[in-house]
Amino acid sequence: MQAPVENYANPKTCLFHVLFKGAALAFYILSALFFNSFVIIFVVTVLLAALDFWVVKNVSGRILVGLRWWNEINDLGESVWKFESLDQESLARMNKKDSWLFWWTLYLAAAAWFILGVFSLIRFQADYLLVVGVCLSLNVANIIGFTKCKKDAKKQLQQFASQTIASRFQSTVQSAFTLV
Amino acid sequence: MSHNDTVPLYQSSQSDIDEIENMMNGGFQSGPGSVLPARPPSPIRPSIPVTSSPFVQSNLPPLAPAQKVTPVPVPPAGSGGSEGGKAMGFGSPANTLTEPVWETVKRDVGRIGSNLKLVVFPNPNREDPGKALRDWDLWGPFFFIVFLGLTLSWSASVKKSEVFAVAFALLAAGAVILTLNVLLLGGHIIFFQSLSLLGYCLFPLDVGAVICMLKDNVILKMIVVCVTLAWSSWAAYPFMSAAVNPRRKALALYPVFLMYVSVGFLIIAID
Repeated sequence: MQAPVENYANPKTCLFHVLFKGAALAFYILSALFFNSFVIIFVVTVLLAALDFWVVKNVSGRILVGLRWWNEINDLGESVWKFESLDQESLARMNKKDSWLFWWTLYLAAAAWFILGVFSLIRFQADYLLVVGVCLSLNVANIIGFTKCKKDAKKQLQQFASQTIASRFQSTVQSAFTLV
Repeated sequence: MSHNDTVPLYQSSQSDIDEIENMMNGGFQSGPGSVLPARPPSPIRPSIPVTSSPFVQSNLPPLAPAQKVTPVPVPPAGSGGSEGGKAMGFGSPANTLTEPVWETVKRDVGRIGSNLKLVVFPNPNREDPGKALRDWDLWGPFFFIVFLGLTLSWSASVKKSEVFAVAFALLAAGAVILTLNVLLLGGHIIFFQSLSLLGYCLFPLDVGAVICMLKDNVILKMIVVCVTLAWSSWAAYPFMSAAVNPRRKALALYPVFLMYVSVGFLIIAID
C-alpha cells in the first residue's frame, strides 16, 4: 500500500505563521493607494510585524520546528541566551512540509522587507525607511534566534549521540563480563 | 539474572522535556493518531537496561536533580512582548515547548503588568534594581511609545504624521542613545534591560499626555507635565544610578532627565 503523501501537519499554525507576515507586507505596499496618513500606515504595519514576531517566536517556532529561544538575565546580571529544542525522536518526526514553510517564509519575508527598504531609500523617504527598518529588524531577530537554536540543537544531538555510543559500548562490555 | 533497572550510566544531555515526559507518561503509549508533533510520546531514555529489551518505557529512571534547570524568569516574547511577553516566571523550561498558546499569551501579558508595577510604582523590590527588571520585555515599552506618539499626534492640529514620526523616532533613538551612554560610562547594564526600563518609565508621561489632550488649559498642562516628569525621573533613578560608578551618576542621569524634559515640552507645546 502506498504511504499517503505527507500533508501539512499543523495547517492552522502554518496559516498564522504566514498570515501576519503577509498582512504586514501587503498593508505596507497597498496602503499608499488608500491611506494618506503616515501614522496609520506606521502603526498598523509595525503592529502587524510585532504580532508576527511574537507568533513566530512563541507559537509557530514551537509547533512547526520544535525550537525555542529566549534571553534571560542570570543572577550575576549577565545576559544569557537560552535555547530549547525537542529531543531527537520528535525532531525527526516533525513534518517536513511544515518546517520547509517555516524557514522559507522567514527568509522570503526578510528579503522582501530589505527590497522595500532599498526602494524607500532610493526615494529618500526617511519615515517609510523607519517603518521598513523596524519590520526588517524584527524579522532578522527571529531568523538569527532560530538559526542559533537549530545549531544548538544539532550540537546537543551530537553530544548525546557520542555519549550514547560510548555508554552502550561500555555497558556491553560490562554485561559481557558480569553475565553468569 | 536480569533485572529491569534502567541505569543511566552518564549524565544525559537530553532536554528536560524527556524527563518530564517520562515521568508523566509512565508506561503509557498513545496511539499514532492522537499524537501532535510537538508532544510525542517518546519514552526512550538513553540509559542502558540490563535486560535484553533495549527500550523500557519510563521506569522512572533516577534523574539527577542537578540536571534540572533552575526555574528562571521567563524571557520576553521575542520580543515577544518582551520583549515579547517578555519574561514570565515559570516552573520548568520543558513546559514552554508544549504549552498551549493561551498560556503563553497570559504569561506575556502578565509580565507586562508586573514589569510596569515594578518600575513605576513604589514597591520594596526597588531597593535591588539589578534584580528588579530581570525579566525584561519590550512589548510594554512598544505600547507606551506608540501610545505617546498617537496621543501627541492626536493633539496636534497640523502635521499629525510628522509629529508622530518625530515622537516615535525621538523616543526610540533616545532610549538607544541613553543606553549607549551608560555603557560607555563603564556602567553595567544589559542593553535590552535598559531599553525596557526607559520604555516603562514613559508610562507617567503617557498619563500626562492623555490629561493634557483632554484639558487644554496651559497652567494645568504645565503642572501635570511637571508632576509626571518628576514621577518618570523618580522611576528611572534607582536603575540608572545603580548601573554606574557613583562618581558618574550625574553623567548617566542627566541625559535621561533631559530626554524626559524634552518630551514634556513636546506635550506642553502641542496645540
